[in-house]
Amino acid sequence: MKRLLGVALGILTAIGGFVDIGDLVTNAVVGSRFGLSMVWVVGVGVVGICLFANMSGRVAAASGRATFEVIRERLGARAGLANLSASFLINLMTVTAEIGGVALALQLASSVNYLLWIPVAAVAVWLVIWRVRFSIMENVTGLLGLTLVVFAVALFLLKPDWGSLAGQLAPAVPEHETFWTYSYYAIALFGAAMTPYEVFFFSSGAVEEGWSVKDLVQSRVNVLVGFPLGGLLSVAIAGCAAVVLLPSGIAVTSLSQVILPVAEGAGKLGLAFVLVGVVAATFGAALETTLSSGYTLAQYFGWSWGKFRRPAEAARFHLAMIVCLLVGLAVLATGVDPVLVTEYSVVFSAIALPLTYLPVLIVANDPQYMGEHVNGRAVNVLGMVYLVIILVASLAAIPLMIVTGAGS
Amino acid sequence: MDPGAARRLEAKVLNTPASAASRKLLAALAPAALAVLTACSGSTSESVSTAVQDTSSAVATARIALRQDLDGKLTRAATATTLDDALKEAQTSRDAVLKLSPAGQEDRDTQKQALEVLDQCAAGFATARASLASDTGGPSLSDGDEALADAQDALDDLSQKVGSK
Repeated sequence: MKRLLGVALGILTAIGGFVDIGDLVTNAVVGSRFGLSMVWVVGVGVVGICLFANMSGRVAAASGRATFEVIRERLGARAGLANLSASFLINLMTVTAEIGGVALALQLASSVNYLLWIPVAAVAVWLVIWRVRFSIMENVTGLLGLTLVVFAVALFLLKPDWGSLAGQLAPAVPEHETFWTYSYYAIALFGAAMTPYEVFFFSSGAVEEGWSVKDLVQSRVNVLVGFPLGGLLSVAIAGCAAVVLLPSGIAVTSLSQVILPVAEGAGKLGLAFVLVGVVAATFGAALETTLSSGYTLAQYFGWSWGKFRRPAEAARFHLAMIVCLLVGLAVLATGVDPVLVTEYSVVFSAIALPLTYLPVLIVANDPQYMGEHVNGRAVNVLGMVYLVIILVASLAAIPLMIVTGAGS
Repeated sequence: MDPGAARRLEAKVLNTPASAASRKLLAALAPAALAVLTACSGSTSESVSTAVQDTSSAVATARIALRQDLDGKLTRAATATTLDDALKEAQTSRDAVLKLSPAGQEDRDTQKQALEVLDQCAAGFATARASLASDTGGPSLSDGDEALADAQDALDDLSQKVGSK
């Protein structure tokens, strides 16, 4: 019974923790401009993140070490540095975007300007990382993030024409958009689903929680059930935007527009749920990205790391995270729009994907670390297919950004 | 490097005529670069059209927020934030039109018309925000919605005019 509860909690946390500011904004933008014609991209992204998160969790459980640590040792300092540079910079952008997201959500709840909420959000992130236990931190934010299910509820309450909505599911470029903007947002959506921090956080979290090969089944269930259900949340966000915003000619540029369909369908109660959900999702992701920044740096340089150690025993790990939070704070203090930072962070995520996922695939095939738990043939074939997709997305991202004026 | 050798190398580079192949490449690249630059800069009508589209999206957002507030679906804080965000979007569009450098009289007229309509939108936003702030005496939420509806009509007219050019 206790084990079953553990599995259920893991799945619920995975669902609630799947959506972050990148998913919220990008799905709403895409829904308001392209309807549901990009649901297939969410599908491709979810399968990809399931594949590599599962692989990464397996590396951690089988070797007892975090993926990045193994990559550094297996591929050497130079390849490790390439991996570190790409993932760390994206992490830093994502930390900034998530803290901005928390502040924007709090502004929606209070009408106090988001710039005043930014230091509050950053200090709260630091306090939780400093004081709260890993499992409590993960479970509370994940479970509160589940309130984002209100997007799916609102979609039903809006009573859309389901036939017409289903008709939008076919991949097609809408009349008022170009093939290039469609491709640009497809890459952004893919990047939002496969952000690199998720994999590093997942594997480092496995070490924090002391996973062993005995926990592989639970890890697999969490990923293979929780993440696809989280993907359905993303589709519900796009669906709400497609039903309420698209017909009114509204292209999403702010978080306040993302919540309007929920208020339309579910009123003030729905609004309360969605605000709690957005704060929890962005705050949870801010914790994860800040930790991921500390994890990657500490694992590359061989510092002592982990929340399972007292801060005094992992001083450089904690200091690195404080510096990352301060950098994020400084960027946001310039007045740059957090939604814009989010939009760029998901595209840059897509650019950095090959540097993140190729090493994971290599390490997961090394019997020296994995023993009998190396990738099977089917996983490797799928992994190779995804590497090609990732490479194409990565190469096309910048030219498309230039040609479309960043999707405008 | 020996200074004499450096000077000889410089002279050689400067005096070497471009090969036929590089001239062809340059000839091919120049129009392409021009096309890219033209595409990037866009005409006044295109820029105005984009600004009108963005402002229209902002006005539509504000109207939905006001209606939801009237229906009791949105809190005052969320409505106020939505209006502020929409106003910011409209201001960005207005700034973009203001910074245009029209080439001829026709473009100058287009810019002038667009600025008049965008100012009307800004006035609509001001009424809408005032309607949120005042419980007595000031404009009501319906007045705010009406002002934005008028702005939306003006934007539609302008959009048609710009589209027909």
